[in-house]
Amino acid sequence: MPSGFDASNPPFDRLTQQEIGELQASLDIAYVAPGEPVVRPGQKAEHLHVIIKGSVEVREGETLNALLGPGDSFDSRAIVHGSAGEDFVAAGETLCYLVPRALVLDLIARNPAFAAFFYSEVSAKLDAFSGARRQEGMESVLRARVREASRGPALMIEGSASIAEAAQRMQDASINAAYVRDGGRIGVVTGMNLAKAVLLKRLPHETPVRHVSHFDVIAVDADAFIFEALLLMTRHDKRRVAVRQGAEFTGFLEDIHILGLVAGNSQLIPGRIDRARSVEDLTGPAQDIQGQVERLHRQGLKVEQIAEITSDLNRRLFVKLFELVAPPAIREHGCLMIMGSEGRGEQTVRTDQDNGLLLDGPVEEAELARFRDAFGAALAGFGFPPCPGRVMVGNPLWSQPLAGLVRQLRLWIMERTPEAAMNLAIFFDAVPVTGRAGLLAEAKQAMVEAMRGERALIARFANLVESFQTPALGVLSTLMERVGVASDAIDIKKAGIFPIVHGMRALAMDKGILETSTAGRIAALTDQRAFEPEFGRELLSALRVFMEYRLRAQLEAVRRGTLEREALIQPGALSTADRDILRDSLRIVRQFRELLRNRYALASFG
Amino acid sequence: MSRGALWRLFYRASLGDHAYKFLFEPGPPDEAVALDCETTGLDPRKDDILAIAAVRIRGNRILTSERFEAIVKPEETEASADSIKVHRILKRDVADALPMRRVLPDLLRFIGGRPLVGYYIAFDVRMLDKYAMDLIEVKLPNPQIEVSSLYYDRKYGNAPPGTAFDLRFDSLLKDLGIPPLAAHDALNDAVMAAMAWLALRDLQARGVRIPRERAGQGPPPPTGG
Repeated sequence: MPSGFDASNPPFDRLTQQEIGELQASLDIAYVAPGEPVVRPGQKAEHLHVIIKGSVEVREGETLNALLGPGDSFDSRAIVHGSAGEDFVAAGETLCYLVPRALVLDLIARNPAFAAFFYSEVSAKLDAFSGARRQEGMESVLRARVREASRGPALMIEGSASIAEAAQRMQDASINAAYVRDGGRIGVVTGMNLAKAVLLKRLPHETPVRHVSHFDVIAVDADAFIFEALLLMTRHDKRRVAVRQGAEFTGFLEDIHILGLVAGNSQLIPGRIDRARSVEDLTGPAQDIQGQVERLHRQGLKVEQIAEITSDLNRRLFVKLFELVAPPAIREHGCLMIMGSEGRGEQTVRTDQDNGLLLDGPVEEAELARFRDAFGAALAGFGFPPCPGRVMVGNPLWSQPLAGLVRQLRLWIMERTPEAAMNLAIFFDAVPVTGRAGLLAEAKQAMVEAMRGERALIARFANLVESFQTPALGVLSTLMERVGVASDAIDIKKAGIFPIVHGMRALAMDKGILETSTAGRIAALTDQRAFEPEFGRELLSALRVFMEYRLRAQLEAVRRGTLEREALIQPGALSTADRDILRDSLRIVRQFRELLRNRYALASFG
Repeated sequence: MSRGALWRLFYRASLGDHAYKFLFEPGPPDEAVALDCETTGLDPRKDDILAIAAVRIRGNRILTSERFEAIVKPEETEASADSIKVHRILKRDVADALPMRRVLPDLLRFIGGRPLVGYYIAFDVRMLDKYAMDLIEVKLPNPQIEVSSLYYDRKYGNAPPGTAFDLRFDSLLKDLGIPPLAAHDALNDAVMAAMAWLALRDLQARGVRIPRERAGQGPPPPTGG
C-alpha cells in the first residue's frame, strides 16, 4: 500500500525508511463485517491488524475490555506469544491493514526499538516508549542558563587579608571559592589553593591571600547557556568558572552544580533542611522538593525512583518541622507518623497530607492544641493540601494517646462502613517518621491481631476495591462522541492505582504482613505464595505504569495551576503505543480484581 | 440468450490469440480485481492510458501485497497539461514507461476471468478494450461490478421521486467512512474502490441502507463524476 499506511503512528515510527518500504509492500487489507470475530482467544494470529476505519471490541468472556479505533493495532501478544488472550470482534464495518506475522517477527528481531512495543511487561514497554522524553532531558540541561545552576553570592576578600582569615570567611559562608580584590585586578582563591599553601608549601598563616590567588579568571555570563560554560571548562581544564552579571561577579559555577541540574539537585535539599532554624527557613526546601519532581520526570527518571526520592525528602522535612514546632513534652512522648500514599512512599506530586501523632500518655491539652495548629499551618504554608478525610495531626482523632487510637481502631473494625474501612486502610500504611516508633508498632500490632485471618473482616475490608469500576478503554468515547458530549477521560487513580494498592493492602493484612510499600507487599505476598511470582511482577509493573501516567497528568494539572481532575487522562489524546500499554495494564487490574473477588467472595456484598 | 452473453460467445470465437482463452474461463470463486486507469483525457477514442493499477480481492481481503501497477507510454497523443495537473504523471515518468502493448499481456494474466470492480469501471474497460482489440481482437469479456450503482442502490434505491442524487466518489467514501487516500493515483483509486465494494457488498448482504440527508440540507446537484 504505497501512500495510505500511516508510518508515523507508533510503533511504526521506529522503523527505518527501508523497513517501512518492506512493510508497505507486504500489507493486505481486510474488511470485517460488524459482529464478525477478527482474532479469537487461543487462536494463532497470522497478522498484526492495524485499524484503518471502524472499531474493534476487545472482549474476555462477557466483559468488554476495550474498544479499539483507527490507528490502534492488535494483537501484539498473539503475534509474539502464539495466541491471543482475548476476543477481538468488529463493532462496526471495519477495515484493517494486515501485517504478516513473519514480517513482524523479522522486524522485531532486527529493530530493538520496534520490538519494545511487543514486550510483555507493561512497564518495560512504557520505558521504551519514554525514550524520546529522556533525550529531551539532557537537552534541557544543556539549554538551561548558567544563572539557574550557579551558586552565589560572591564572597570578596581583600588581597592583603591573611590566608587564615580567607579560610575562615570561606568556611563561614560554606563555599569553596572566593574572589580576591588586589588593587585594580580581581582574582580567585579556592579551598584547594589554601590547603596546598599550608600543607605543601608550608606558608605561614599570615601570608596575604593574594600570594596564593590566581588572576587569570575564566568567567561566563550569568545569562549564557550551560553548554557554553561546559565548553569553557573543557577548553581551560577547569572544574569551576566565575559567573559574571555585567561587570559584577555574582558567584561561581562548578561541575557539581551542573550535575545538580541533571539530577534535579535533590542532593542539596537535605542540607538546606538540616540548616533551617525556623519554619520559614523550611519553606524554600519544601517548595524545591515539589519543584524537583517535575525536573526529575522531565529528565526521564522512573516514577518509582521519583517517589522514593520525594518521600525521603518529605520525611526529612517532617522530622525537621516536628523538631521546630513540637514542644519538648510532645517530642519526648510522641511518635509522628505519616500514612496513606505518604506512608507507602508512593506520593510524588502532593495531593493531600495524611499524618498523625501517637502519644504514650496524656499531655497538656493546651500545648497539644497549639502544636496541632502550628504543625498543620506550617504544612499548609509549604503547599501540602489538607486531607479531605481530615487524616491530619490537626484532627484530635489522629493525634491522641496510643490507648485511645487502639480503641478507635477496634471501633472501626466493628463498624463495617466504607468510611471505617478507609480509615483502617490509611492507618495500615502508617510509618513512623520521628519519635517513639514503638508506639506505632504497638498500635499496628493490635490492629493486625484483630484482623489477621478473620476472613469476614478482611473481605469487608477488601470490598473497598469494588467502589470503583475498572473501565473498558475507549468505550465511553464512542458513546459520547455519538451524542457529541464529553470525552472518555479515565480516572487513573480509581481505575488502576486504587484497586492494586488496596487489594495488596487487604492481602497483606490477611497474612499479617507489615510492609507498607506496595512493592514490598507484593514481594512478601509472592514469598508466601499468595499468587504466582509472574503475576506479582505484572501487577507491580501495571502499578508503575498507572503512577507514571498519573504523574504526567498531575504535572500537566500543576502547569494549568489547578489540581482538579489531576488523575484524569484522556485515552483519545494518548499515542497508540500509550493506549496499548494502558489497555494491557487495565487488563492486569481486572485479573487481580477477579482474584480478590474469588478469594473473598466479594460478590456476596452486592 | 442475453446480448452480453452473445457478445462473449462472439469474442470467444473470434479471439485472435488463443493463449488468452483464460479470459473466458471463470476466475477462482470469491475473487475479483479492482482496477483503475489514469488517462490523458475522458474520450476513449482519442485519449490514452497513462497509468494502470489493479489489486486482487479474495473473500473479504484486498491483496495489496500482490498488486499490479504500471506506467504506460502513450503511443501517439501527448498528455495535455490539464490532465498532468490531475494525476501528476509527468512526461519524465512516462519516458521510463512501457507501451500498452507490452503492459496489457501481464495485466490480462493478472486479471484472468475475474470480475472487474471499479468506480465507473465501464470507462476503464472501454479504454482497455481499445488496446485489447489491437492485441488479441476481442473486448474484455470480464463481468463488471460498478461500485457507484451498488452505492446508488444502498442509498437511493428506495428514494421518493425527485430526490437529488450525489454519486461522487468522495461522497461515497465519506458515507462509507473510508479514509480518502491521495486521489488520482491509480493504485489508491483501485484500493479505495475495492474497500468501497467490500463495504457495500456487506451492507447489501445485511440489508442495511445508507441514510440520506433530509431534503433542504441535501448535497449539491449530481455531477455524475
